[in-house]
Amino acid sequence: MRTLSLYQEGDSIIHKIDPITKIIFVLITILIPIIMGTLNSAFAFLIISLTLVIIAGVIKKVLPIVGFTSIILVTVIIIQGLYYFNNRTPFFAIGTVVFYKEGLLYALEIILRIYSIINSVSLLMFTTKPSDLVEALVKKGLSPRIGYVFSSVLQIIPQMMSTVDTIIDAQRSRGMEVEGSFSRRIRAFIPLIGPAVISSLIDTKERAMALEVRAFNSRYKKTFLNEGTTFKYADVMQVSLISILIISIVLRFVH
Amino acid sequence: MGKRSMWSFKFTTASLVLIPTAVGINYIGKFFASLLKLPLWLDSIGTMLSSMMAGPIVGAISGAINNIIYGLTADPISLVYAITSVAIGLTVGILAYIGWFKSWSMAVVSGLVVGLIAAIVSTPLNVIFWGGQTGNIWGDSVFAFLSAREIPIWIASFADEIIVDVPDKIATVLISYGIYKGLPRQLTSIYRNDDEIKEL
Repeated sequence: MRTLSLYQEGDSIIHKIDPITKIIFVLITILIPIIMGTLNSAFAFLIISLTLVIIAGVIKKVLPIVGFTSIILVTVIIIQGLYYFNNRTPFFAIGTVVFYKEGLLYALEIILRIYSIINSVSLLMFTTKPSDLVEALVKKGLSPRIGYVFSSVLQIIPQMMSTVDTIIDAQRSRGMEVEGSFSRRIRAFIPLIGPAVISSLIDTKERAMALEVRAFNSRYKKTFLNEGTTFKYADVMQVSLISILIISIVLRFVH
Repeated sequence: MGKRSMWSFKFTTASLVLIPTAVGINYIGKFFASLLKLPLWLDSIGTMLSSMMAGPIVGAISGAINNIIYGLTADPISLVYAITSVAIGLTVGILAYIGWFKSWSMAVVSGLVVGLIAAIVSTPLNVIFWGGQTGNIWGDSVFAFLSAREIPIWIASFADEIIVDVPDKIATVLISYGIYKGLPRQLTSIYRNDDEIKEL
């Protein structure tokens, strides 16, 4: 069955690290640079996450995501460089347009943070099988029913997208146009989304019944199909990651 | 018997399987919007529909899971906007419960409320992660214009977000309401909160 997944097969050390440790890593790369609010911390996390992405061998996959975000980041440089509220020191000028040092540094901090978030999340999504991720969370105490919801989303989206192709073909054969003036395009939205929604809701009702007859609501303790390999250093890594987070919070309040 | 409270919900299998479908509908909405090159996202139709059908909690969970999945499969930054999606799910669910979705004009007002709440929740995230911008050309032009006039960043960023969010949310609420109204009873009845059963 087709599932929506960006997982890349590989046998790097990063692939072997357990999903929970990776999730904690993602959280601290988002939180610490914000808590610390310094250029150095943002830079440090970018270097760390970039190194890990390179070790995992998925750097080529990360580049398109970085490229997509870079367009927005260019506007961040322009707007903050010109108009950041703390702007005092002119840095350089193009004609009469003056870019200021403070704004450019602030833009740099934003860019470093965004890139390190992209790298750390990419690390999680390219080196972890979605099913392993969900299973790890369920073993940690996430309700198996919510676990089902997560894995089911990844299967439903490709399924719904193939229904969508059928709907587009059907409506086109009835003369619907997807190009042209704005009002024509907006009118095409309803005949496309309507059937897609109704057919997916009908599927939902059937899926609910199919689950019910297979004892989805059973209160017995759930067991796992895969024993799963445990990662030796998971505990050590998780404890040290969380300690780093606590230290950064303490440092922030001491200063 | 009267209506049960909107917060009392049982995680029935029906409402649970509605969540992945809602996420899928969001995804399709976004896909059609870009296929038709519409200047809107229209990526929360599923969240809103699930709120209307099964209440604020199911809507909020759909919103959260939507952004988690989208963050893990396409755009990592959308993970942090899960909070906004939760707010959208809750708001639509509450408005539906207190009966705001009675007519098209009320639906427009509801869309305005949802848009404002989404903007209030997103603004701090925009300021923290993007220095106040949204990444939308129109919104960011306003942000640049206001920043140049030394308007405080929070107000400039809020204006940026409102310009992007309010039209999108009004359109999304109208589309969701239109679809919801047209849904056959057979599909909506399994999620109803009242215990009353009528013979036809």
